[in-house]
Amino acid sequence: MTKLENSTMERPFHREHRSTVGTFTSDNPRIVCRSVDVYYGEKHAVQNINIDVGRHQVIALIGPSGCGKSTFLRCLNRMNDTIPDCRVTGDISMDGIAINGPEVDVVPLRAQVGMVFQKPNPFPKSIFENVAYGPRIHGLASNPSDLEEIVENSLRRAGLWDEVKDRLPQPGTGLSGGQQQRLCIARTIAVNPEVILMDEPCSALDPIATAKIEQLIDELRALYTIVIVTHSMQQAARVSQRTAFFHLGHLIEVGETAQVFTNPQHQLTEEYITGRFG
Amino acid sequence: MEKSTLFLLILLGSTIAYMRTTWRARTLAETSGRKLHSLPGFYGYYTALWCALPGLLLLLLWLLGEGSLLTAGALARLPESFLDGAAPEKIQLLVNDIKSIAQGSFEGQIDPAIQMAADRFSELTQWSRILLTVLSITASLSGLLFAQTRINPDFRARNHVETVVRVVLIGCALTAIFTTVGIVLSVLIESLRFFNMVPITDFLFGLKWSPQIAMRADQAGSSGAFGVIPLLLGTLLISTVALVVAVPIGLLSAIYLSEYATPNFRAIAKPLIEILAGIPTVVYGFFAALVVAPFLRNMGAEIGLEISSESALAAGLVMGIMIIPFVSSLSDDFINAVPQSLRDGAYALGATQSETIRQVVIPAALPGIVGGILLAASRAIGETMIVVMAAGLSANLTLNPLAAVTTVTTQIVTLLVGDQEFDSPKTLAAFALGLILFILTLCLNILALRIVRKYREQYE
Ligand SMILES: Nc1ncnc2c1ncn2[C@@H]1O[C@H](COP(=O)(O)OP(=O)(O)O)[C@@H](O)[C@H]1O
Ligand SMILES: [Mg+2]
Repeated sequence: MTKLENSTMERPFHREHRSTVGTFTSDNPRIVCRSVDVYYGEKHAVQNINIDVGRHQVIALIGPSGCGKSTFLRCLNRMNDTIPDCRVTGDISMDGIAINGPEVDVVPLRAQVGMVFQKPNPFPKSIFENVAYGPRIHGLASNPSDLEEIVENSLRRAGLWDEVKDRLPQPGTGLSGGQQQRLCIARTIAVNPEVILMDEPCSALDPIATAKIEQLIDELRALYTIVIVTHSMQQAARVSQRTAFFHLGHLIEVGETAQVFTNPQHQLTEEYITGRFG
Repeated sequence: MEKSTLFLLILLGSTIAYMRTTWRARTLAETSGRKLHSLPGFYGYYTALWCALPGLLLLLLWLLGEGSLLTAGALARLPESFLDGAAPEKIQLLVNDIKSIAQGSFEGQIDPAIQMAADRFSELTQWSRILLTVLSITASLSGLLFAQTRINPDFRARNHVETVVRVVLIGCALTAIFTTVGIVLSVLIESLRFFNMVPITDFLFGLKWSPQIAMRADQAGSSGAFGVIPLLLGTLLISTVALVVAVPIGLLSAIYLSEYATPNFRAIAKPLIEILAGIPTVVYGFFAALVVAPFLRNMGAEIGLEISSESALAAGLVMGIMIIPFVSSLSDDFINAVPQSLRDGAYALGATQSETIRQVVIPAALPGIVGGILLAASRAIGETMIVVMAAGLSANLTLNPLAAVTTVTTQIVTLLVGDQEFDSPKTLAAFALGLILFILTLCLNILALRIVRKYREQYE
């Protein structure tokens, strides 16, 4: 860090500069966002976001709390629809298909774009039923043995199978925090998504559980595109290929993770990653 | 002095003591230049408590014991002949006479012996009053003086006040507990007396309920039928009808209110529904008897069904409406208590709103909802007025909701209405019924509270 501070006395972009710095486009984008704004009633929570999310990449959203990371994340699976006075404008498309219009059916979209929350939120059902719930409502399994197979595969991919295979009928709420979070990941995987959104998935977990989830994210990248909000810059550096830095509702800087962390272009980014505010 | 005057005087005294001591403590702190252990107000409280409690305690003692001592004293003046072998009721009448003569409100011929006793009663009352005044004022004053002597900067008034407050609180809690225990015990004891006359097995398993027969002289307990089964069946029947009405309506309206309604609508509708619980049951009763029952009977006549004018159906329907708020209000609370994160989890998997509610929210809230339903059921079982007015009094052994039935509570009322001999099986049967009812609702409540508590732990 000392080296970094010394080398960054002068940044090309100063604190007042509010439009996105860095390369927000991606060669092989899965999700493309252009001029996205989000309002909560009168409050303009997220302003003019342009960003691409690359295929089979992990992109980390960082920034101080309240800067709009979760709000932006929820645009990608239309979860903002569940908040009464929230309004999202702009163009968001996935694989070239617009997903932000009122005509879009959110049910298949949410099956395509899964979400893992900050606090593990398993349903008060058995471990098996937690994972089986998504496939059931989407009719993904034609018979019980199919369903069992989906559940087993999902739990395996979430790295939880060995720990729970003997206790599938027990309640999911009886697992440890880290196990619950992996159960939620398995639940998300079970509906065969293409993108997984994670909103601070490790902030309620201990370091060992966190390490497990981080390793899992790295493995999942082969199959899914992942957008992760995180408070921890170390975590962003460890798991992501690209990093986007938000500040007060603006996307300040986005680029290759290594680039953002070693040679940030914007003064705010530099101050944030060196821990001068946050 | 009158007791009420005395009471006010003591309160006044302790208020003054509070103010004076507070002030004194403050000056003490200033003049001695030392820091008091407690804030001045605590010294005030301490003195005030010492001033009020002894006097009030004496007052309480007097209230409890004075009456019997005075009557005993007055009766002692009566010639032996008055009391020898007299039944307790006779003596009670005599005492009432003496009291009204003493107050000068007796009209009619006065036996000189009784007049003497009455004079004695007035005299004793005088003395008692004087004694009480002197004693309680002395007690309060000595309490006050005692407390005053202890005021010094090192005195831990705050801690002492704390002790006194704790004792007062314990006293209140114990009062409530002892009252409950007392009621239960008296019901239990009277029931045991009943079971001495009527075997408990006849009571619990008998299929016939006709307590009237027992009224005929010399037949007490031998031929009256005290089988509780028809009453329990009637209770069950009416409660079931009530729950069949209340559970779907209550639950569905709770779901609508908590998941779909706008906050504004909810703010209006929820209190409106809760008003249903505030309507006096007698109003429901005549609504059931005068509106619902005739309506049902006519409807039945139209489609060729025989519905008696007093029917379990009418009573159950109206009772169901009455307990809707119990179900809906509690269900609403518990549905709201389901964390938003669970809903979000379901939405994020692509579930629709109704799927989320049916498959995630309701199962999560289910224990609470069941608890609410059980509480509503215990309310239904204990309900009296509606049944008295709408379901009739005939103890039919039937499960047909169109027939007239009767319930445990209704029978308790009928058993106790009118002049009663206190130790006839008919009267005592009321206690046995009360005991059954008590046990029944207690079990339901315990079960409900357990379920509710378990649920609370899950999400706190
Ligand atoms: N449901 C909501 N209603 C109104 N304002 C909200 C709501 N959720 C978030 N906000 C506001 O939007 C801004 C961004 O919040 P959020 O996206 O949760 O930030 P972050 O996840 O980066 O901490 C904050 O100022 C917050 O107060
Ligand atoms: Mg957030």
